[in-house]
Amino acid sequence: MPKIRVRVDEDLCIGAASCVTIAPATFQMNQENKANVLDHGTEPGGPTYERWMEVTEEEYETILLGAQSCPTLAVFIYNEEGTLLFPEM
Amino acid sequence: MRYVIIGGGIAGTTAAEELRKLDNTAEITLVSEEQHAIYSRVLLPHYIKGIIPRERVFLKKETWYDDQRIEWLRGEIVTTLDVKNKFVRISTGREIEYDKLLIATGSTPRTVLDDPRGVSYLRSLDDADHFLQLLNERDTNWKAGIYGGGFIACEYLNLFAHAGMPIELAIRGDHFWSNVLTEEAGELVNQHLVQQGVILHKQAAFEQVLGEDVLTGFQTSVGTHVCQLLGIGIGIEPDMGFLRDTGINMGRGILANEFLETNVSDVYTAGDVAEYYDVVAMQQLNTGNWLNSMTQGRVAAKNMYGEKTVFELVSSYAANALGLDIVFVGDTSKQHAERVEVMGSLKEKSITQLFIRENRCIGGVMIGRNQDRKEVTDAIRERRLFQSK
Repeated sequence: MPKIRVRVDEDLCIGAASCVTIAPATFQMNQENKANVLDHGTEPGGPTYERWMEVTEEEYETILLGAQSCPTLAVFIYNEEGTLLFPEM
Repeated sequence: MRYVIIGGGIAGTTAAEELRKLDNTAEITLVSEEQHAIYSRVLLPHYIKGIIPRERVFLKKETWYDDQRIEWLRGEIVTTLDVKNKFVRISTGREIEYDKLLIATGSTPRTVLDDPRGVSYLRSLDDADHFLQLLNERDTNWKAGIYGGGFIACEYLNLFAHAGMPIELAIRGDHFWSNVLTEEAGELVNQHLVQQGVILHKQAAFEQVLGEDVLTGFQTSVGTHVCQLLGIGIGIEPDMGFLRDTGINMGRGILANEFLETNVSDVYTAGDVAEYYDVVAMQQLNTGNWLNSMTQGRVAAKNMYGEKTVFELVSSYAANALGLDIVFVGDTSKQHAERVEVMGSLKEKSITQLFIRENRCIGGVMIGRNQDRKEVTDAIRERRLFQSK
């Protein structure tokens, strides 16, 4: 299973919650109306805007779709080598 | 198969992308009024504030259209649609035949009559460029005016505050979102804005912009408001004038069923222009919202391709007005609801409104109560009443 790092830029996040709608196992709104990153619905180590996780291809596609749906491109996905997979800069 | 998409915004572009994924050999034509590659309107305030550089508002590179073999006709509009012979005519006079057509023309901001330098709208990247130019010309004694009581007015509040300008805001009714908020919730927003230093005028009917070539202020029924920059946010109108006499049924927007099909065969609609049957709200709805448009673009593409797919989404819209979080979820029309229940109060400085119809929650508004958002959204999606924890 590929290992990825998912990060939400809290300065860019405006609480549109499109990532939460599409990928609820990976994103969840917090009290500040910004998206926290979950690992398969759980928060080991507590709430955070950034975490590593192992995902199946199918799960990755869902997370990518969630990131693509963000109107402020606040979700960043990196592979194990640290290369930015999304968004394309 | 020949697919023609009218509108290069997020609904139309997502539909084109999805159609290419589904059908590798199809001919796809995307007619876009804008000259720019697809960008995020939602990012425009971030760009104006300098949080991101201009190039970061774009969602696709200009080369993307060629890479995807999408014929991208930019700076063009459709002037005629012939649904009998199944072709569109664009501004250059060229006629393009289609097998399946998607209308995703979006909406246009309502405007005031005069347009001296200093009047701003916030719809397009060009509007944002213009606004930034105006901001950069400002003196320390400049004042900002805003007319309107909705989401765009919130954006202007934040932008002017970020620029350090004193703000005078005039609204037509007693408070923001008069079709949505109760008097108490409206007062909560008003009090917050006044506490933040905004000069607020209620019951102010717009009369005119002042200044010949350069803005000097604006006039409403309650008086004259001096300002050098004026942000107008008085709503949007679906762009569908060119469909007159086509036989396509229109209400507030282009009427469509839950598959985003119009009453005319092989013609579909998506995005801000669509007034679709919402299976969650059980109501025709017209929703100007990013995820709604993107998802509709994807669903419309599937249906055009032949994969019968129902559009189902609980839409939400989040705004922040000078530090106050405001979230709309689902159908938030007071008119559509049988009753509105309220949690919290003006005194607590936080209110959640629940819109109830047929013994279920169809919408919610959270003002300063982000903690209710998930539960309210779940209740709407699961077609039940909200149960407070």
